[in-house]
Amino acid sequence: MYTTHSLNLADQLKAAIKHFPNHTKIVSFILLLLATLSAAAHKHRPVSPAKKISITIPGFSPDSVSCVIPFSRAGNLIIIKAKADTTEGSFILDTGAAGLVLNITYFRNYPATTLVNEEASGMTGTVAGVTRTEVKDFSFGCIKTNVVTADLANLGHLENNKGIRIFGLIGLSLMLQFEMIIDYENNLLYLHRIAKKEAREYKSTQLKDTAAYAIVPVEIWNGKLITYTNMAGKKLRLIIDSGAESNVLDSRLPSKIFDNLEILRRIQLVGSGDKKVEAVYGNISNLVIGNQNTGSLPVIVTNLEKACMADSYCIDGILGFDFLSLHKIGFNFVNNKMYIWK
Amino acid sequence: MRRCKSILLHGFKIVCLLLLCAQQLQAQVPVKSYTIKNGKMFIALGKDIPAASLDSFIKKYELADLDLLHFIQTGTPDSLHKLGWKIDIDNKEIVVISKPLFSADNIANPVDKIILTQKAGDEIPPANQVHFGANWFKNKWPFAVADSVVTFFLKGRTNANAVMLAGSFTNWQQGAVPMTKTDSGWIAYVKLPVGKHLYKFIVDGNWTTDRENALTENDGKGNDNSVYFKTNYTFRLNGYTSAKRVFLAGSFNNWKPNDLLMRPSATGWSLPVYLSEGTHTYRFIADGNWFADPANPDKIPNEFNDFNSVVRLGTPYIFKLDGFTDAQKVELFGSFNDWRENQLLMTKTATGWQYPYTLGPGNYEYRLKIDGKQTGDSITKGNIALVISPNFTFRLKGFNNARIVCVSGDLNNWNPTSFRMKQVGGEWVFPAHLNKGKHRYKFVVDGKWILDPANKLWEQNEFRTGNSVLWMDKEL
Repeated sequence: MYTTHSLNLADQLKAAIKHFPNHTKIVSFILLLLATLSAAAHKHRPVSPAKKISITIPGFSPDSVSCVIPFSRAGNLIIIKAKADTTEGSFILDTGAAGLVLNITYFRNYPATTLVNEEASGMTGTVAGVTRTEVKDFSFGCIKTNVVTADLANLGHLENNKGIRIFGLIGLSLMLQFEMIIDYENNLLYLHRIAKKEAREYKSTQLKDTAAYAIVPVEIWNGKLITYTNMAGKKLRLIIDSGAESNVLDSRLPSKIFDNLEILRRIQLVGSGDKKVEAVYGNISNLVIGNQNTGSLPVIVTNLEKACMADSYCIDGILGFDFLSLHKIGFNFVNNKMYIWK
Repeated sequence: MRRCKSILLHGFKIVCLLLLCAQQLQAQVPVKSYTIKNGKMFIALGKDIPAASLDSFIKKYELADLDLLHFIQTGTPDSLHKLGWKIDIDNKEIVVISKPLFSADNIANPVDKIILTQKAGDEIPPANQVHFGANWFKNKWPFAVADSVVTFFLKGRTNANAVMLAGSFTNWQQGAVPMTKTDSGWIAYVKLPVGKHLYKFIVDGNWTTDRENALTENDGKGNDNSVYFKTNYTFRLNGYTSAKRVFLAGSFNNWKPNDLLMRPSATGWSLPVYLSEGTHTYRFIADGNWFADPANPDKIPNEFNDFNSVVRLGTPYIFKLDGFTDAQKVELFGSFNDWRENQLLMTKTATGWQYPYTLGPGNYEYRLKIDGKQTGDSITKGNIALVISPNFTFRLKGFNNARIVCVSGDLNNWNPTSFRMKQVGGEWVFPAHLNKGKHRYKFVVDGKWILDPANKLWEQNEFRTGNSVLWMDKEL
């Protein structure tokens, strides 16, 4: 009970018709179509058909529902309690992951299929294979979904770093029907599932004072939540990622951009398989998101070449916790908007 | 054409860098810059840069491994080449080096991405335990302690209506203690065990750390808490009153020389600390001179042909060796003394040898050396295991015909032979001490590594053979 969300409209229609045969699913299909048309309106460069990323939309109820979920933190990652079938525990809210990821250590007996050459979720790119399974019921806070496709992955390294049990990652596909407001200051997550009838006009009461926040357009691009900005004459494509503790910029960007960088020190990042990756840590100034200058923003500068889908289809950086926690921040994934409080 | 373009671009970059450097030279400021251009790091340094200026540049940007001082002095680029740096310009006035920033191998996986963007130092070591701590209050003495009761004090804030004390000892807000107003602040009396405690004040509903306490700790959830150590031992040094500064250094702080500043006392210097159970070695440093505690007769030899003073807290464990009464010298060494030889010499008894050594709860390994010949476990010939205060038993059922079965994991740095299990009834057992947190392990049955068949939790390892996983939710 899921469909493929990508920028290839024809494929999407086919998939949606195939996977949404009844009333409940038609609602999801319409929302999907709206989101697709909205994304297409941004007229960004087309995606290479061979390199499509797919994300799955789980089967939600069509009714609206609201709740406030208190969250804790592991470092700067948002931890919320969630339940996958009978297994309950801590999950990371990760807008940088395409969908649900389960820690295979705790879901070892789930039937799995390995999809060879499937594009990975996460930061984009290709992996040899993705092990996938299905969860019948997944819930967090007041949100209950059924039949959710999930990737099975080893999150052991992450557990070792954070010192807590981590059962999985809650990725973007689980939020696509929601308005979500993250209040880092009070460790609260406000969620509202937008029903069909309120899709156009729904806004949280927190958004009544329109002078209090800026609206920034966002879109789903290859399974990523993306926003755009211009800097030193270059249009930057940035992932908005609650699963990234730091902001990141691609070291291959034009030199003029790095005229705004105050380097603080050289650092070593920990790459795949504990491999050290050289990078630079500093503060970037004059980065404007939604007409708001982010001031002196901490950033890691590293090579994001492997995050490219193809030569011309790269992301230029990541806006992580160091950006998201500056102000209260919200997202309407149905109307493709980001709200940044002033 | 492409190559030509690349050469032109490269030439342009060098000209730009030279212009930049020339400009700086003109201004008589030593050239030193660290920049990013076209996916590469560039470092430009004037050859006339003073050593102190170069040193601060290296420290600021954490470039020590490049050995830039050696390169500037000798012109030998070996260390730079080894690290992948290229010499772009090297003339009488200036040196410019560059290195491309390479991409992480696989950042497609969201887990790899989370770890890649993690801030350095944010990692929480698994199963961590506190062995030592000293308070560091800024403008006041540490909280007064009488009969295990600690007097917490919040200076000022006398205009507040209500102040509560919340901490790890009150289950935070749930059991927060109301504080009483005095003429200079707020106080609360709390009975605490020795060790590390976290706390905050809640002033009219607002949580705040103790501004007078310089020790804070992030709880890993984005909040800072104040840290208080209920101390159980005071280091004292009589005399040396003319010394400007006296530091304490020891095994408990990895012998950091400028870490623990002692305070002047009526008779000399003192420093109250929290020390966990076990044997700790230490020395004093008065104005840069290291020496053992002149008032402490308990000393052991160190690697500098000198002695370290010893503090022993807790009940000693008696290491024993039966027999070998004809031997001249038997020494003990193990993980508890960093495997240092010629340090712990056993005493001859009527029936053998012994050495009392105080150890806190934990898993240890050791060996004995009898007249210069090392001995280990009687069966595996490896290290001998010693567990103080076991709180968990590893069990492996079956394998009745196996000769040697061991447990190996992060509890013994994956040593395959040191933690030999004993066959009791139809199973192999090994009692161990496990701290709170995650533990990974495997069994080694006659040299073959296997997962724990009774534990369904395991995770993949770098050999793709898996490790069993268990979590200790609390200290038992």
